[in-house]
Amino acid sequence: MNKKTPYILIMPIVLLGVLFIYGVINGIVQSFGYIPAFNLRDFTLDYYIEVIKSPAFLDSLKVTLHISLISSILAAVLGTILTAALVYTGHAEGKVLKVIKLAILIPHTIVALFSISILSQNGLLARLFYKIGLINVQSDFPLFLYTKNNLGIILGYLWKEVPFVAYFSLSLMSSINKTLGEAAENLGASRLKSFFHITLPLSMPAIGKAFLIILTFSFGAYDLPFLLGATVPKALPVQAHVEYIHPDLRHRPYAMAMNGLILLITWTMAGIYYLLSSRNRIKGDKHEGY
Amino acid sequence: MELEIKNISVSLSNKEILKSINLVVKDGEFISLLGASGCGKSTLLKTIAGIIKQREGSILLGGKVLDKVPPYKRKTVIVFQDFRLFPHMTIAENISFPLKMLGVNKSEYRKRAIELLKKVKLEGYEDRHVDEISGGQKQRIALARALAADPVVLLLDEPFSSLDVNLRKDMRELVQDLQKELKITTILVTHDQEEALTMSDRIAFMHNGEIQQYDSPENIFKNPINTIVADYFAEGTYVSGHIKDKRFISDFFSINANKDNGSYKCLIRPSALKISKTRDSQFKVVAKVYQGDNYLIKIHNTDGNLKLESILVDPVDIEVGDKVSIELDKDKLIFIPE
Amino acid sequence: MKDISSNKPLKIFIYISLFVILAPMVIITLWAFTNQWPWPNLLPTNYSLRGIKEIFAPYGKVFPILISSITLSLTVALLSAIIAIMTARAIVFYDFSGKELLDFISMAPNLVPSTVFAMGIHVVLIRMSLANTPLGVIIVHLIYTLPYTINIMRNLTESIGVDMEHQAYVLGASPWKSFLYVSFPLLLPGIIASITMAYILSFSQYFVTLLIGGGKVMTFSMIMVPFIAKGDRTLGSAYALVFVLSTLLVFAIINTLLKKFQKREEKSNWN
Repeated sequence: MNKKTPYILIMPIVLLGVLFIYGVINGIVQSFGYIPAFNLRDFTLDYYIEVIKSPAFLDSLKVTLHISLISSILAAVLGTILTAALVYTGHAEGKVLKVIKLAILIPHTIVALFSISILSQNGLLARLFYKIGLINVQSDFPLFLYTKNNLGIILGYLWKEVPFVAYFSLSLMSSINKTLGEAAENLGASRLKSFFHITLPLSMPAIGKAFLIILTFSFGAYDLPFLLGATVPKALPVQAHVEYIHPDLRHRPYAMAMNGLILLITWTMAGIYYLLSSRNRIKGDKHEGY
Repeated sequence: MELEIKNISVSLSNKEILKSINLVVKDGEFISLLGASGCGKSTLLKTIAGIIKQREGSILLGGKVLDKVPPYKRKTVIVFQDFRLFPHMTIAENISFPLKMLGVNKSEYRKRAIELLKKVKLEGYEDRHVDEISGGQKQRIALARALAADPVVLLLDEPFSSLDVNLRKDMRELVQDLQKELKITTILVTHDQEEALTMSDRIAFMHNGEIQQYDSPENIFKNPINTIVADYFAEGTYVSGHIKDKRFISDFFSINANKDNGSYKCLIRPSALKISKTRDSQFKVVAKVYQGDNYLIKIHNTDGNLKLESILVDPVDIEVGDKVSIELDKDKLIFIPE
Repeated sequence: MKDISSNKPLKIFIYISLFVILAPMVIITLWAFTNQWPWPNLLPTNYSLRGIKEIFAPYGKVFPILISSITLSLTVALLSAIIAIMTARAIVFYDFSGKELLDFISMAPNLVPSTVFAMGIHVVLIRMSLANTPLGVIIVHLIYTLPYTINIMRNLTESIGVDMEHQAYVLGASPWKSFLYVSFPLLLPGIIASITMAYILSFSQYFVTLLIGGGKVMTFSMIMVPFIAKGDRTLGSAYALVFVLSTLLVFAIINTLLKKFQKREEKSNWN
C-alpha cells in the first residue's frame, strides 16, 4: 500500500538501533585508548596487550570460562532429560510447565539468595548434613560460596538454566515425538532407540540454540558472580566493572579492553556454534540424498 | 453497476502477471474468469478490489475511475476461497463487521445480520462461534458478510473449490439465486469449466496473464478461438486440413463446414463421434473405460495414425477388439483456424 | 501413555526437578517471616513480620520505590511491545531497502552481553545528559528487551498473515480499523507474552540499572540486592518474596485487562 508506511513503522527501532550500535562502537573505540574527554588521544593496542599479559586477567578468564562452560553443558544435558521427561510423560503442557516457567521468571539476584540460604556453611544443607551426622561442626561443611570452585554460582545457574533449556526445546521435541517418533516406534524401533535415533537428533537445533544462549549469557553476566564469587579472581564482567568505576579515569580503557575481549570470545563461541551447526546440516542433507 | 477494466497490467516481484487486460462486465451480469491455476485470474480479482496495485491501466466502475480509491471505499467485495472468517468474532459479529465499520448502531447491525443469516438459510446461528460450524456453513457466512458490505461488485475467488461435491451444487444454486435477486454485478474466479459453463452469463478465459476469449458459455464451448481454449473445455483429436468452398478436406475425411477458406484444425471431441459395430472397417476398439453414466470407447485406425474417442451411453455389445464404423456429427465438430 | 512403568525414572526426574525448583521458594518464604533461625535447627525457632513491615512501613521509602519501579518496568514493557508490533509488521508485510540490515539490528543486542553494552552506552548517555535519569534507564532496558519482543511478535505476525486484513479492507474497513478490529485481537496473545517478557527482563535488571541510573534511579532490584550481598536473609527474603508476588500480581492484571478485548477467550471459558 503506502510506500511511506514501512519507514514510519521502523522509525523507533532504527533510532534505538543506532543508539545501540553507537554505544557498542564507542566502547570499542575507548578500548583502543581514544578518550579525548580524559585527554587520551592515542590509538593503540597497548591496553589489550597489557590486559592479556596480566596474570589476574588470565585467572579471571579461566574462572569465567569454567563457570559458564560447566554450568551450560550440565544445564543442556539435564535440560534435555527434563524435556524428554515432560514429553514422554505427557506433561508438555499444564501445571508442571507453570512451575518450570516460574523458575525462568525468578531473577538471578534472587537465585543468589537461594544459594546463600541453602549452600552456605550455616545454610539448610549444612544443617541437614549435621542432623544426619555427616558433619560435626559448621566449618566441616564444604565451601560453596565466595571461593575459587564457584560451585554456588554454577548451581545457581543450573537452577535457572535447566528449566530454560526445557522450556526452549519443549515444543520442537514434543511435535517431533508426536509425528516422527511415533512413526519410528510403529516401524519397530524401541522407545529408547526412537528417542536417540529420531527425536533427539531432530530436536538438536533447539537444544543447541538454548545451549548457545545460556553459554554466552553466563559468560557475560554480572549478577551471580558479583553476589557469590570470590574476591580474587573475579569473573570478567565483574572485573571489567571494577576497572570501569576506578577513581583513576585512565583505567577506563582497561575496562573497555576487557569488554572487547568478552565480546570477542562471545562472538567466537557463536561463530563456532554456527560453523558446527551448519556443517551438521550439510551432513544431514547428504544423508537424505542417499 | 458496469465494471470496465482498461488495459490493466500487473507485475509482482518483477514478474509480469497480467498483460494488458481489457474486460467489460455489464450491470447485473454474472461472469466467470476461467483458467488453470497461475493464469492470473485471482490477481485480476485482487486488482479490481484494490488490494494489488496495477502497473498500468485503469478500472472504471459506473464510468468513474477507481484507481485512486482505497480498497475499503470501493465496495468491490471479495469472498475468498478460505472464507477468512474472523476467528475472534461470533457469526453475527462477522456478518455485521462491514456495517460496524460504517458506524451503524449495534441493534441495527445485529438485526441486519439476522436478516442475512435467513437469506443464506442459517437462521439461529448468530451467536455461534466460527470454529463450531462446518465448511459449507462457513461459506454461507462469508457470503452473508460480503452481502452486508452492500457490494457494487461481488468478487468470488474459487469459493466452491474447498467444498464437498454434494455441497458445491447447493452453494452454486444459492449464489445464483441471491445474485439474481439482488442483481449484483458478479465475477466468479474458477478453474472448473463446468462451474463456469453452468453459472455465468459470459466467460472470460485466461491463460498466461491474458484473456484469450470472452464470450457466452455456449459460444466459447462451441467456437473456441484457439486450441488452448478448446482443450480446456473438452479434449479430443485434432485433424489438420483446409476449407475450400465451405468444405473441410483432410487426409482422413472431408465434410461440409460453414467457414471461410483457409487452413484449419478440426477438433473431434468424443461427443461428435458416433460408432457402430460392423464387420469390416479400418477402425478397431482398443479400450473401453467405464465412467459411471457411460463408457468411453477408444479407437485406432489400422495405420495407427488416427486415435479417436467416443462416448457410448449403452454398453451394447461393443467390446475391445471389435471393428467399428464411425460417423461424425458435423454440428459438433470444431474448426479452429491455423 | 502406552507403557506407564517404563516412564517411572522420567517421572521421578520430573518430581526431583519440581522439588528443586519449589524448595528454595519455600525456604525464602520461611526466611521472610523469620525472627530467629539458629544453627542447627531445620526450622525457624521464632517468627516475626519484621521484614515485611519494613518494606510496607507507612512512611518508609520502600513501597514508593516498588510502585515507581513497577511503573518504570511497565513503561518499558508497553513501549517494547508497541515497537515490536511496528517492527514485526514492517519486516513481515513490506519490502523496503535496508530490510536485512534492520532484521540484523533488531536481533543484535542478543549478541552483546548486557554488561559490555551498558558500559559502552553509558558514556553516550552521559554526553546526551540521559545518564542518571529514568528516561536513560528506560531506553537501555528497552534496547535490551526488544530482541525478545520482536521475535515473539514477528512469529505471530507471520502466522496470522496479511490475508485477514485484506478481507477487512474489501469489507469496508480502513487500514487502521482493520488493524484495530481484526489484527490486534489476533495478536493479543503475543502482545501479552511480549509485555510480560519485557516486564520481567526490566524489573529483574540490576547491573544495567545500577550503571545507567547511577544510584539516582532507584528500582526494587536496586534496594533488594544490597541485602542479598550482605547476606541478610530475613530482609533479603522479604524483598525477594515481594518481588515475586508483585510480579505475579502485575502479570495477572495485564492478563485480565488485555483479555477483556479478547471476547473469544471469555466465551470459550463459559463453555
